[in-house]
Amino acid sequence: MKPTESDTEFSFETSRSDIEVTWKQRLGDFYREFIYKPGLVAWSDNRTRLGALLMLVYVLMGTVGVVYYRAPTSNQSPRGVQPFQTTEALLGTTGSGIDILAMIIHATPPMLIMVLSGGLFATTLAVTFGTVAGYKGGVTDRALTTFADIAMSIPGLPLIMVLAIVFSPTNPAIIGILLTINYWAGLARAIRSQILTLREESYVEASRTLGVSTWRILVKDIIPNIMPYVLVNFANAARFVVFTSVGLYYLGILPTSVANWGVQLDQAYRNAGALTGAGTLYQLVFPMLAIMLIALALILLAQGMDRVFNPRVRTRLAGESRSTDGDDTEAVSTTEVLN
Amino acid sequence: MNSQPVLSLEDVEVHFENKPGLLDFGADPETVRAVDGVSLDIAERDVVSLIGESGCGKTTLGKACIGLQRPTGGTVRYRGDDMWAVRDGTTNTDTEWADIRTSLQIIHQDPGASLNPNRRLISILSEPLRQVNPELSKGEKRERIYSLLEHVGMNPAADFAERYPHQLSGGEQQRVALCRALLMNPDVILADEAISALDVSLRVEMMDLMLDLQEEFDTSYVFISHDLSNARYFTEHGDGRIGVMYLGQLVETGPAEQLINDPKHPYTEVLRWATPDLSLEQSGELPMRKIDIPDPVNPPSGCRFHTRCPEAREVCARDQPADYRLGDQRAACFRHDETHEYWDSPELTD
Amino acid sequence: MATDDPIIRMRNASVTYDHGESYVLDDVSLDVERNEILGIVGESGSGKSMLASAMLDAVPDPGLLEGSITYVPESGSKVDILELDKPGLRSLRWEEVSMVFQGAMSSFNPTMEVGDHFRETIQAHDMDLESGMDRAHELLEDLYLEPERVLNSYPHELSGGMQQRALIALSLVLDPELLVMDEPTAALDLLMQRSILILLRELQEKYDLTMIFITHDLPLVAALADRMAIMYAFKLVEIAPTREIVEHASHPYTRALLNSTPNLDASLEEMQPIEGSSPAPINLPGGCAYHPRCPLATEECRTTVPEFERTADGHVAACHHTDEAVDRIPLNYEELLREDTLGPDGDRA
Repeated sequence: MKPTESDTEFSFETSRSDIEVTWKQRLGDFYREFIYKPGLVAWSDNRTRLGALLMLVYVLMGTVGVVYYRAPTSNQSPRGVQPFQTTEALLGTTGSGIDILAMIIHATPPMLIMVLSGGLFATTLAVTFGTVAGYKGGVTDRALTTFADIAMSIPGLPLIMVLAIVFSPTNPAIIGILLTINYWAGLARAIRSQILTLREESYVEASRTLGVSTWRILVKDIIPNIMPYVLVNFANAARFVVFTSVGLYYLGILPTSVANWGVQLDQAYRNAGALTGAGTLYQLVFPMLAIMLIALALILLAQGMDRVFNPRVRTRLAGESRSTDGDDTEAVSTTEVLN
Repeated sequence: MNSQPVLSLEDVEVHFENKPGLLDFGADPETVRAVDGVSLDIAERDVVSLIGESGCGKTTLGKACIGLQRPTGGTVRYRGDDMWAVRDGTTNTDTEWADIRTSLQIIHQDPGASLNPNRRLISILSEPLRQVNPELSKGEKRERIYSLLEHVGMNPAADFAERYPHQLSGGEQQRVALCRALLMNPDVILADEAISALDVSLRVEMMDLMLDLQEEFDTSYVFISHDLSNARYFTEHGDGRIGVMYLGQLVETGPAEQLINDPKHPYTEVLRWATPDLSLEQSGELPMRKIDIPDPVNPPSGCRFHTRCPEAREVCARDQPADYRLGDQRAACFRHDETHEYWDSPELTD
Repeated sequence: MATDDPIIRMRNASVTYDHGESYVLDDVSLDVERNEILGIVGESGSGKSMLASAMLDAVPDPGLLEGSITYVPESGSKVDILELDKPGLRSLRWEEVSMVFQGAMSSFNPTMEVGDHFRETIQAHDMDLESGMDRAHELLEDLYLEPERVLNSYPHELSGGMQQRALIALSLVLDPELLVMDEPTAALDLLMQRSILILLRELQEKYDLTMIFITHDLPLVAALADRMAIMYAFKLVEIAPTREIVEHASHPYTRALLNSTPNLDASLEEMQPIEGSSPAPINLPGGCAYHPRCPLATEECRTTVPEFERTADGHVAACHHTDEAVDRIPLNYEELLREDTLGPDGDRA
C-alpha cells in the first residue's frame, strides 16, 4: 500500500450521529427491499395480479384443499352425475362414482411439487452452467459448453420415456427432475450468451478492478441483471413439466398410481368415451382446465415478475426521489428528457 | 516522500491479434499494434494526461498502467515490482497481487454504464470498503460513505445513498464512480475520458473535484482525453504532464502550458490547430496531408506520422526518430537534431 | 429575427406535449438566411434538436407542433411546411431540405453496402440513377473519400469519420438547398471534427447551400458559422453574427456559456462552471427561464418573459438587462480579444 500517509488525510467524519444500524433497522430494510417493494411492483401489474391469484388457488388446493376435501375413491357419490347438479360433487362424478373435484384437488400437490422441483432443477443448473461458462471463458467454458451440448443433443422425449419406464418413479420431486433431465441445456446456452454481453459492461470491469472475487461478481453484479430472463425461463420450464408430465401420464408411461390430471384425461377419453358424445365431456374438460390455468398462471407471473427486477419501476412505484431537471449527459434525445 | 515512481512502464507493447475468419483460408492473422513501445513513469500524486485521436492506443495504454490489460511486450512495474510477475507468482517479493489490484482504480467514460443498475449506491460504495477495510462494521462503513458523499456535494447523503443509479443525473453518477475509486485509497486512478460524457458546463466542476480530492487521498491520475482543452485544464491545475499519442507511440510529452504554447512535434501542432478556440482564426486549410488515420494493422514505416505530416521528408519514411529531450519536454521528431540528415532530405509530397 | 432573403421563415413555433402542459419548444421565431451557415447552440435538453425536427415537421408523436414554418425555394412559390401532405413532405425532405442526425452509425443499415444506400435514396425519389451516382462520386471526392472503395463497403468497414462524411454525401446527393445537421461531429475525434468543418465550408461554397449546424459545443461551431442562435429552456435567447457573439454577447446565459467551456486561450483561473442546471419541460420557472441561475436577475426577470431587444446591427437578445451584461459578466478571454482588435502594441490592427 502507501508508504507514507499525507498530512491532509481525508477525515471520514460526518455531520450525522445516528449512523449505527440496529438489527431492527436491518429487518425493516430487508422487509422493505425484498417483500414490500417487489410486492408493490408485482401487484401494480394486472397480469401479475391475475397470475398470483390463480396460483394462490392452486396452492390452496394443494395445501388446505387436500386436508379438508375428501380423497377420491370409487362410489363416494352417485355414478355419472353431471357437473353443477349437486353440492356434494360440484364438478360431477365419473362412471365409477369418483368425485371429479376431489381428483383435481388431490392431484394438485404432486403437480406442484413436480413443477417446483423440475423448474428449480432446470433453472439452477442452467444458471450455474451458463454463468460460469460465460464469465470464465477459456477451457472452463469449452468443457461446460461441450457437456451442455451433449445433453442437448440427446433426444429429450425418448430419453425421458426410457428413464420413466426403467425406473418407474413415484416421488413427484424425482419425476420433476427426471422430466427436465436435458431441458436445462438449451437454457444454459441462452444464459451463457447473455453473460457474454454482460461481462463486458463497465460496472463489471469496475468490480474486477476493485478486486472483487469472481463469485461475488457473479452473484451481485451479473445474476441480478439476468433475473427477468431467468424468471421467464423458470416459468417455461415449469410449463414444460406440466405438459410433459400430463402427456406421459396420459400415455401410461409414468405409473398411473399417482393421481394426476393426465391420468384423468386418459380415463375420460378411454373409459368414459368423453369425445364420443356420450355426455361425459365434462370429465375431460375439468382436468384440461386445471392444466391450462396453471400454465396460464405461470406465464402471467413470469411476465409480471420481470418488472420487479427493474429498478426504475420499483423506485417509481415506491415514490422515491430522483434528480430531475434534465440529464447532465450528452446525446440525450428530447423524448428522454420528458420522462 | 518516496522518489521511486509508483508506476513505471518500460517499452510496453500491447498487440492484439485478429484471427482470420472461417472463410479466410491461409490468411495471416492481422495484428493491431495498439501500444507499440511506450515508456512512461508515474510518480506519487502525479497527473499524466494522455491525448490523441481514437485508435491511438491511449485507452489501452491506460489500462496497461493499472493492470487491466496485460502487455504482450515490455514491463509494467508497481513500485519496482514487475506487476504481472507478481500475479503469476514468479517473483519473490513481499508484494501481493491483491495489494496491487486494489491500489490501481478506474473511472469509466459512461457514468450510467459504470454503476450496476440493480444496486443502490450504499451497496455499490460498500464494495470498495469490503475490499480494503473489511474490519469496519456496517455502521462504520455507512459513516465513511456518507461523509464522502457529502464531501462531493451530494447532500443529504442518506437520501442519495438509498438511490439507484438511474435516480441520479449523469454528473452525480460520475461523482459516485469517483467516490468508489477513492474509497479504495488507490495510488493511481485511471480517468478514461471521465468527463467526455458530461455536459460541457459540468466538466470543469468535475475536474476541480478530482483535483481537490487528489490531495486528501494521496493519489495520482492518468487522465485520458481526446480534447486538448480539457487535458490542458486538468494537467496544468494538477501540475503534471501531457503525453501525446499517435498510433501506439508517445510522440511528445511535457508540461501542459509548454506543450500547448510551444509544441515540439508536428502532430501536437496539428492537434492544437484542431482544438476549437474562440480566436476565430479562419484558417481554412488542413495542415495534414491526409484526413484519415492510417490503418493500425498496417502502420506506416519509419516515423508513423510521416504520411500526414506537413514537415515530412524522405528520411522520415525510413527511420524512426528517437525521443529527444528538450528541457522538460520530450519529442520524437528529427527536427530537433540539428545535425540529422533530415535537413538534407527532400520533402515528401503527394 | 427577420432577414432579407430567408430560406426558412419560422414564426411562433411551439411543440407541446400533454395538451399544452409541457413545452419542448417555446414560441420560437427565426429566419434562416439563404446561403448562410447558422449555428444553433444549446445544452442537452434545451430544445435544439426539437427545433430541427420542427423545421421538417418531424416532431415525434404525441407532440403537437404549432406556428408557421415557411420554406422559400430559390425559384418557385413559398411552401407552408405544416400544411404539406405526406407526398409533399417526402419530396421536401431530402430533395429540398436534408437532415443529418446525431450518430451516423445508426443512420446506416448495417446489412447494406454504402452504395446501395445511395441507389435506394436516388430511386426512392424517382431521380435518374446514373446522374445521381455521378453526383455521389463527386460529393465523396469533395469529402476526401475514395468513391469506389466507400461505395462498395459496408458501413462498419469504415471508420467513424468516414461514415459521417459518407452520410453527409448521402444527404446532399439529391441537391438540396438546405442542410440541417444535428451534432454531426459529436462522436468524432478532434482532427476529424475540425476537418469536417472545413469540408462543410467548402461544400457550402461549391454547391450554394444553406446550412444549419446544431450543437452544444459553442467554440466548435464558432469556427464555421456566420450567425449563431443560442437556445435555453426551449426558447431562443440570443441571435447574432458569430463575431458579435464571441466579442459582445449580450445575454447572461451566453456569456456564462462562453466562460464555462475550457478553451486554450482562456486563463486557467477564470474558467467557471454555471451554477445550477437547466430546467425540465414541466418545471419551467416563471418569467425569464434563466432567472434562477442569473447573477443579474431582478423582480422583473421573475415575472415577465423578456422580449428580443436589439443590441447591435443584426444582434438581438431576450433579456431585461442586456446593457449590464457586458459589464457585470466579464469574459475570461478578454485579453485575447483586446489583442485581436487592437494589435499587440495597443493600436488598432
